[in-house]
Amino acid sequence: MSLTESPEIISAQPDSKTRRYDRQLRLWASSGQTLLEESRILVLSSSATSTSILKNLVLPGIGHFTILDDAITSAADAGNNFFLEGPSSIGKRRASEAVRLLAELNDSVTGEAVTSTPVASVVSSLNFLSKFTLIITHNLPPSQLQTLSDTLWSSPTAPALLAVSSSGFFAEFFIQHHPHPIIESHTETPPSLRIRDPFPALLEHSKSLKLSELDPTEHAHIPYIPILIHARSLVPHDPKTQEEKNAFKTLILSLKFKQDEENFDEAHAQAYRVWTPTSLPSSLTQDIFPHLDTKLAPPAIPGIMHALLTALRRFTEREPHVLPVSPGLPDMKASTETYIHLQRMYKDQFNSDKEMFKSLIPPNPGEIPDDLIETFIRNAHGVQVFVGEQWGAFDKDVNRVGEALVVSPKDTSVHLALRAVREALENSGASEGASANVSAEEIKMHIVGMLPPDTELGEEIDKAIGEITRSPTADLPNTAAMLGGLVAQEAIKMITRQYVPQGGYCIVDCIDMRTGIVGL
Amino acid sequence: MAGSNGIASQDWAGRYDHIDQILNTPGPRTSPAFMAGDGVKDFLRNQAKILVIGAGGLGCEILANLALTGFKDIHVIDMDTIDISNLNRQFLFRPKDVGQPKATVAAEFIMKRVPGIKVTPYFGKIQDKDDEYYMQFNLVICGLDSVEARRWINATLVNLVDPENLESLKPLIDGGTEGFKGQARVILPTITSCYECSLDMLNKPTAFPICTIANTPRLPEHCIEWASVLEWPRVHRDKKMDTDDPDHINWLYTVASARAREFKIEGVTWSLTQGVVKNIIPAIASTNAIIAAACCNEAFKIATSSAAFLNNYFMLIGTEGVYSYTFEHEKRDDCPVCGGESLEMSIGPEITVEELIDMLTEKQDIQIKKPSLSSGSIQIYLQAPPQLEAITRPNLQKKVSELLPTGGEVTVTASTLPFNLSLNITYK
Ligand SMILES: [Zn+2]
Repeated sequence: MSLTESPEIISAQPDSKTRRYDRQLRLWASSGQTLLEESRILVLSSSATSTSILKNLVLPGIGHFTILDDAITSAADAGNNFFLEGPSSIGKRRASEAVRLLAELNDSVTGEAVTSTPVASVVSSLNFLSKFTLIITHNLPPSQLQTLSDTLWSSPTAPALLAVSSSGFFAEFFIQHHPHPIIESHTETPPSLRIRDPFPALLEHSKSLKLSELDPTEHAHIPYIPILIHARSLVPHDPKTQEEKNAFKTLILSLKFKQDEENFDEAHAQAYRVWTPTSLPSSLTQDIFPHLDTKLAPPAIPGIMHALLTALRRFTEREPHVLPVSPGLPDMKASTETYIHLQRMYKDQFNSDKEMFKSLIPPNPGEIPDDLIETFIRNAHGVQVFVGEQWGAFDKDVNRVGEALVVSPKDTSVHLALRAVREALENSGASEGASANVSAEEIKMHIVGMLPPDTELGEEIDKAIGEITRSPTADLPNTAAMLGGLVAQEAIKMITRQYVPQGGYCIVDCIDMRTGIVGL
Repeated sequence: MAGSNGIASQDWAGRYDHIDQILNTPGPRTSPAFMAGDGVKDFLRNQAKILVIGAGGLGCEILANLALTGFKDIHVIDMDTIDISNLNRQFLFRPKDVGQPKATVAAEFIMKRVPGIKVTPYFGKIQDKDDEYYMQFNLVICGLDSVEARRWINATLVNLVDPENLESLKPLIDGGTEGFKGQARVILPTITSCYECSLDMLNKPTAFPICTIANTPRLPEHCIEWASVLEWPRVHRDKKMDTDDPDHINWLYTVASARAREFKIEGVTWSLTQGVVKNIIPAIASTNAIIAAACCNEAFKIATSSAAFLNNYFMLIGTEGVYSYTFEHEKRDDCPVCGGESLEMSIGPEITVEELIDMLTEKQDIQIKKPSLSSGSIQIYLQAPPQLEAITRPNLQKKVSELLPTGGEVTVTASTLPFNLSLNITYK
């Protein structure tokens, strides 16, 4: 085929790996993909739920996974797990079968089955666990989960734990992690355009506009940002009362030459930016800045991250107490020249803010790559540190559990029923996946033990107990698939350090088809 | 292995131990209609027939879930072939399958992996099939990325309902995803809100005004649109642009890059070019897994009555924590598909037929392309055939009020829609 009129066609089609991952690279870019490819995941089970989770991590390309599980495939396993080959897998090591079939999904992922080591022997081995990025468990007996959680909580650099529990239509999961900084949170709140606190070049440019002297075409293509700042310079002070705000909006429209000038309509619609303060996000001022010298001091968070956050705090301590300018500009009605000119101004300010920012970085942590600094500044308005608590801490505080039952009875009842059924199954000595009966009385006894004395149990608890005793050990294919998706999403967010993971227990009720959060 | 006896014989003892915990006993919220034990198992495993529309991101997941749950007679329709960019989530496909029909490869994989399940693929369009075909199923699950195909199957299933025949009501379970977000819903045609009832919930596709593209480009997207919308037809005349052809994307990328340089606009990349011209929606395995599981779980609950089913909409946003919202979407009385009442439209007496057509095209709750308008025996404007278009074209400039009395009924049709829209026009 010849494509005429374009002598130098750039052949820039991406390589096959980029093409394979195209639909996810649009979410977490190559920076997220690299972290994913460097990750090593340990899963302490090869149940249907565990393989569903792993499937959704192998497909996008984690580096490595290990399944540690000494179970032998049962008839029931062969019926509900897609990563076993029906009757032909029965009697074989379940983890080995699962690893073989999961690894088929992606040639660039390595998998290993550890079938000779009992789970009980690794849950206290920080040395073994620290070889991994993330540990995932499914229906681990509570005593083992507690030991595992204690081991991982004891060291600030130990991997995060994703503890999953399910019975029938009910499920929950909890992420235990040390302070987890997120630079690219992909917040939907855009960075400030600094219309209220224009930086000098922007202020100068806007004030000097001679709107009335422009020709009609130019006039209809001045972006709304300088229009607003210019209009502000025409009134004595920031509009405060409703009357002043209305008068300001009328003033903007009065600057029009012609009725159909959309740029002035945009300015009119965006007028609130003139009197809305450019406040710093509380995720920085409350959750991060006050704690940098205490609970967020290294090694709680990595030294480089601490240095960047410290520089950001110092930057915002200076007048006019704003974040560095972000170079991104939304689209707005404008001519190409005026838009590009404005964009240039933001970029120049971004660069000079970046230099200032760099001068504020404490010297200790060593070399910080320039592109990391850029990414950090671009996303400064969304930077978060996700601070967690230990798995089970919520449940040890009867008052918190009691309050949760009042505030969200449905979700808390499901949570209590799941905690109780795990306890009951461990007490009965039933192995994972095998059929076992648990009585409503026993579940109720465990639930009562987790609540303040004399708590009224209520209808939701009864429903949850009824449902959990119906199918205490059922790992239903649909619930497993649902958890496979939800847990993998959270795992990906933790590994890529992008987007915001969920705190507390995430409760899933597949009868009402709803999710909720308990113990945040 | 054909026939239900042959299928049932493949069930090894203990195969359904997990699911049978649910099917052997009712729960506290289970309806009295539930036939615990053999009755429900026989229906699920030997009688139920289910149709899956789409064998892509959602479809692969749906097929696997249904097979493990015990649905044994599954049909799947998909008109696409496998592309390398599917492999990050469509887990029934391998690199060697690229270029093969999705429906066929998916069906074969499921039958190999889950013994005793019959999956019947159809490599083609849903529109190829008639009412009789759709009548044979108990349930339909849809995992599509096309609004048009969903509107078609929704309207078809609503039209299939015969109040005299309970069997004609086919529950439609619909799922959709975008990045970390998705939704699943249960539609009981004519009883609950249908797909058409909720059209206004869809995000409006970003459309760039042609004058911006031509005269005042500001974003890299404007340069790409210029290359594809204006330059391609100018340079290549009648040759159709194929967005799956990397040479075509290369051409667009080159032309867009040159324009961006000319205007000092940064950010045109190959990937962005491809994304804009193909309208690519980010997609990952995990979100598809959540939504497909929600769909299949509803199918299981409806088919077995083992637990209450979703009423009727589940929405998930996974970008900031796990946020979901479950609610009842309301049926619209003036829904053109299931409502029965005509849509009230009040217009100025000066509005011309052409302006009315523009208004209809713009309306978010209708989303109609190239509508034809008639009223009783009056043909107001017909898009096709060409002779009738020519005859009715002069009406475009006429005022609607000259052609129709107030309260007049207008029937709107479009080739993309399997139903007629009825408007009741009044004048302001
Ligand atoms: Zn409807």
